Amino acid sequence: MPELPKRKVGIIACSGEESPEGTVTRLAALKVLESLRPHETVTICLPLFLAGGEGDRTFARFYPTVAVDGCEKRCAARGTEMYSGKPAISIVVNEAASIGSSDLGSARQLNETGMQVVNDVAAQIACHVDQLLDLKGDRRSGLPVDGPAPQEESQSRQATCSCSSSIPVTTLHVAGREVTFVALPLIFAQFREVGKLPDDSTKDDLLRAVKIYNVISDADETSYAQALLQEYSAFCRRDH
Amino acid sequence: MPGEILKVTVDKFTFRVPKGLSYSDAGVWVKLEGNRARLGLSDFAQQSSGDVAFANIKPDGTDLERGDAFAEVETVKVNVSVPSPVNGTIVEVNLSLAEAPELINQDPYGKGWLAVVELSDWENDRAYLLDAETYLALVKGQAAEEMKR
Amino acid sequence: MKEKVLIVPCSGIGKSYGTVAREGAYVVTEDLCPEKTMLVPVALLVLGEDEARSTLAGTEAITIDGCQLACAAKVVANSGGTVAHRVQVLDVFRSHRNLKPSGIAELDANGHKLARVLAEEVQELVNGMTGEVSHA
Repeated sequence: MPELPKRKVGIIACSGEESPEGTVTRLAALKVLESLRPHETVTICLPLFLAGGEGDRTFARFYPTVAVDGCEKRCAARGTEMYSGKPAISIVVNEAASIGSSDLGSARQLNETGMQVVNDVAAQIACHVDQLLDLKGDRRSGLPVDGPAPQEESQSRQATCSCSSSIPVTTLHVAGREVTFVALPLIFAQFREVGKLPDDSTKDDLLRAVKIYNVISDADETSYAQALLQEYSAFCRRDH
Repeated sequence: MPGEILKVTVDKFTFRVPKGLSYSDAGVWVKLEGNRARLGLSDFAQQSSGDVAFANIKPDGTDLERGDAFAEVETVKVNVSVPSPVNGTIVEVNLSLAEAPELINQDPYGKGWLAVVELSDWENDRAYLLDAETYLALVKGQAAEEMKR
Repeated sequence: MKEKVLIVPCSGIGKSYGTVAREGAYVVTEDLCPEKTMLVPVALLVLGEDEARSTLAGTEAITIDGCQLACAAKVVANSGGTVAHRVQVLDVFRSHRNLKPSGIAELDANGHKLARVLAEEVQELVNGMTGEVSHA
């Protein structure tokens, strides 16, 4: 059975050359990847993604992604959804209220206002990354602080094969429809190993863990949490 | 490329390690061909190094001791001195790399080979080499460390 | 009037060379030959932007790729475009070894120089496509 990979979030920016907002997405994504959350994020190169990069597409299927677009065309978000799955978060720079009709400079060279927008968007991305990975962040510095949620590093959690046949996929009936989840047996095995009981005390933690690898909307959380707990109970009975 | 290929994925990168080859811990693969060994960079070594811009390999007739640099590979990120995993003499150099160094990235276990060495001390050299499974484990660890940087 | 030559950079975010491709495209379309060229983002071509695709049809493109994966060239070809020239930043670097770039968000001095050299090579290609004669 393959091991669960370390939790990370994929950041995919449109990098649109036509507008300063496109440049904002590029610089904001790089700031998150290089300084704010370097160990928690992975860059997904949009041109490679669109041209058929299987590594990037597979990553985006199994990990949560944050798409950062310059405008309402939402190329990064649409591309991610087209080839992998809906991004967990979609940010559109020119819809941010703080920009209004501000002059950000040119696409080739942002001005001071543009660079401030870069910092603001980067902080937003970092915040979303924290929420997706259930981390706490310092709002002033934008850097993560110690918190209970990050996984402990261990030799057993290093790598897993990305081909679809080795990450298990499970289909459950939830609220009258079939829903496919990735990595459930692996998540269940980890929960079992740390002694999490298949009862209500585990429900929220289980939902949070499953959300790392599967997109679950807020509206569906209650029904999904219940279904996942039932499946975990069944897993524990089988495993016992 | 010989036999079954082992794979490991770290983040979005997949690294291939074919069985049937031996590997040094510096990421050089060795394919035994009679009393000669064909050498090249492993998939992990070439991916970690980046796109190759230039590859300079020591010429035919060069005597090597295990650990001597037999090639210099300049990539977009780093300049890599490639240590020989074996003792011997270079008898063939991959001349294609002068015009197409990108072969090292595109086909590291095939057309991207670096040199062929006439072996002089294989019985001792082989003791320092890793089989595919052991090298795969090494790659997992090294790749995970790279991702942390 | 002859159609503008499309310039399509990869703008890859993983390496300096992607930024060199991007900057080189700006130098071409804004500084060197703005009246003869037009920059087209890769993403718009793939995501079915009708305007971008109709611009591509019947017009030749020069793609500028930061690495051997050649994403811009692939995307243009797959979108029904004609790639007149595939420019690889790495090839330009091989001819100008002293200009090894670094930085992705912000190119260093070598990166800007390499982008300029690349842009001048692209300008030559554009001149060749539009029938212009280069003056030494």
